[in-house]
Amino acid sequence: MSYRSLKLCSNGGAFEAIPEPKLRLDLAKVRAAAESSGRAVVDARVMLILPGEPEVTVTRDGKIVVKTHDAGVADRAFRELVRLFDLPSEVPPLVRER
Amino acid sequence: MAKGVVLMSGGIDSPVAADMLLSRGHELVAVHMDNRPFTDDSPLEKVRDHLDVLRARYGVTLPLYVLPHGSTQVTLMRNTDRHVGCVLCRRFMWRSAEKVAEREGATFLLTGEALGQVASQTLSNMRSATVAVKMPIVRPLVGFDKHEIEERARALGTYGISTRPGLCCQAVPDRPATRTRLVQILGEEQKIDVDRMLDDVVRHAVLQ
Repeated sequence: MSYRSLKLCSNGGAFEAIPEPKLRLDLAKVRAAAESSGRAVVDARVMLILPGEPEVTVTRDGKIVVKTHDAGVADRAFRELVRLFDLPSEVPPLVRER
Repeated sequence: MAKGVVLMSGGIDSPVAADMLLSRGHELVAVHMDNRPFTDDSPLEKVRDHLDVLRARYGVTLPLYVLPHGSTQVTLMRNTDRHVGCVLCRRFMWRSAEKVAEREGATFLLTGEALGQVASQTLSNMRSATVAVKMPIVRPLVGFDKHEIEERARALGTYGISTRPGLCCQAVPDRPATRTRLVQILGEEQKIDVDRMLDDVVRHAVLQ
């Protein structure tokens, strides 16, 4: 089980990563990890919203939505979350670093 | 002519519904339920632009009330059955619009709902949502198909605004219920303090 892509969602308003197959995240642990890193968290029980630039949504089944139109910003935010929450990812970089 | 409150989402349908009533001389006040953080800024920006099109077309003021809806969504997600979340959400929207209508002396509510378009717009779900309010709800597009509505939106000049990039509502469950029973919906609402939540939303309404 892993994330394999981070792509612009169908309405073009955000980037999303959907794991295959779906994960079963312990959102309490995710929340604790986010808060311990100094991030604010809105806990809606079935999803967490991490306000900020960019704002991020994490659902219990592992879907991650990064609210930005900028691929580089989305990529950096996604990789930070993967590291912070210890999530499996095979997503190639969206933007090549020069 | 009557005065009504139109629910504006930023989508394709609601400006078309508003246009149909304005073209017959009715007066409208717009309400937008601000779904952030479950969406981004784009729905509100689209609503503002839709209203500019309608104001220019009819030479009317068409005031806009923006009501916070994100905290309501959080409460619904934390306390109620996710599968009926869209109907519960819709009931709060209707109640909020009715409160604004009472404040504005309006006598009807207006929506761009069309039968069968999305999960909350099946006949049983429409009924479950509608009975939350006493005021009549006008649905001029109810029998239209998507293509007809899009054609009207293009002619009106709002289609391009509605289809700009934007984030879909993140609060929509994976498998929303399409055939709800009212008794089930009322049972879910027993788990939350509807009156307090509604008071809170209306108290924070902003007239723009």
